[in-house]
Amino acid sequence: MPGIDECLLEVMRLPGARGASVVDWTSGLALGTIGESPNGDHEATAAETAEVARMTAEQPAFAHLAAGSAAAPAEAAAGAPSTAVEDVIVTTHDGYHMLRFVETAFDSSVFLHLWLSRSEGNLALARLRLGELAERLVLA
Amino acid sequence: MSAIAADPGAPGTDRLPVLSPMLQRLAAERATGALMRDRGTLYLADGQVVHAESPATPGIDVLLTTGGTLRHEGWWDAVAQAGAGQRVGRYLVDSGHVPGGALELCHLGALYDAAFFALAPTGTPARFRYGVSHWIGPVRPVPVAAVQRETLRRRELLDRIWPDPACDSAPVVRSSAHPGDSPVPARQRAVLELADGVRTASDIAQALGRSAFHILVDLRRLAAAGLVAAVRAQPLPAAASAPGRITLPEVTADPDIALLRRLRDALEAL
Repeated sequence: MPGIDECLLEVMRLPGARGASVVDWTSGLALGTIGESPNGDHEATAAETAEVARMTAEQPAFAHLAAGSAAAPAEAAAGAPSTAVEDVIVTTHDGYHMLRFVETAFDSSVFLHLWLSRSEGNLALARLRLGELAERLVLA
Repeated sequence: MSAIAADPGAPGTDRLPVLSPMLQRLAAERATGALMRDRGTLYLADGQVVHAESPATPGIDVLLTTGGTLRHEGWWDAVAQAGAGQRVGRYLVDSGHVPGGALELCHLGALYDAAFFALAPTGTPARFRYGVSHWIGPVRPVPVAAVQRETLRRRELLDRIWPDPACDSAPVVRSSAHPGDSPVPARQRAVLELADGVRTASDIAQALGRSAFHILVDLRRLAAAGLVAAVRAQPLPAAASAPGRITLPEVTADPDIALLRRLRDALEAL
């Protein structure tokens, strides 16, 4: 039964992984961290990335669930997926930051943050793997 | 980085203010037991926080059962089977009721959430009962320093979103001033729909099975957008209701009255 630490250890096995964390985007709380953080402070990084995740999750442009979904409000209140967004990728001159939303059965606003070296990392591979790990984190 | 500008009035204090000197001391002596404060209880094991509860926020049972992660029977089965042995958390995972990662995420969220309310400034003395542990059992212990840091950061976060804490505790109501012209994100909309002039933030949290701190964040955002307002029970004299930074970190040097009393008693007994 994988937990937060096992999940983060798996994430770090990706080629080029420099650091990773599990973050709550409503509060900006780092629930678990591993490796390096871009500004040397995992808690500050969590608060900053949480703001990006929140802005993305809440934008109407990205919240569009399906074509012609007039029933969107009721559906959203019932709380199926907390956001239609799967991930956010930010590219910097020497790295990639990937924020992957984690869907849980209970109410939450959690995402996985992976910081990847641009020269060693493989963006496509990392994206697929992070998606798998985000699912496995909350599955038995 | 967020704590740097917190205390312009206190020169030379680059250390974080201590939320509870008693908690600090208990962490230093690696105590095990329950710290009961006015608005909640922190459970310590070996000086680390292992669980927290507050009447202001839904317990982990509500969080897990509302979304359907766990059925009520599953919860009561776990309490019956493992409650006496104080390993309910372990049992929930081992018996396949709740995935391990989900339990950790949910429990950590609930812990920091309850700790935020439990560590709210109060004039009531705290008590510590040595040796007491919680039946949820070990899940993922957190250092006291991390809990204090996070609690302070959360107070600042709320204050930064909207500096008026009125919506935190009073019943909240939708304001009619702004009809639905600005789009409200789905999660905030669910909160807005329950702001009926009767429910408080805690009631809404309970109804949605959501962390009460998350509700506070949403309510402050909605208040900032002019979409909700607190219902004020009786209009107080104008001077008494000055909004602003009323209950913020400046108040955090709560004198630990229980400790002071014990000291005084000990000195008098000499």
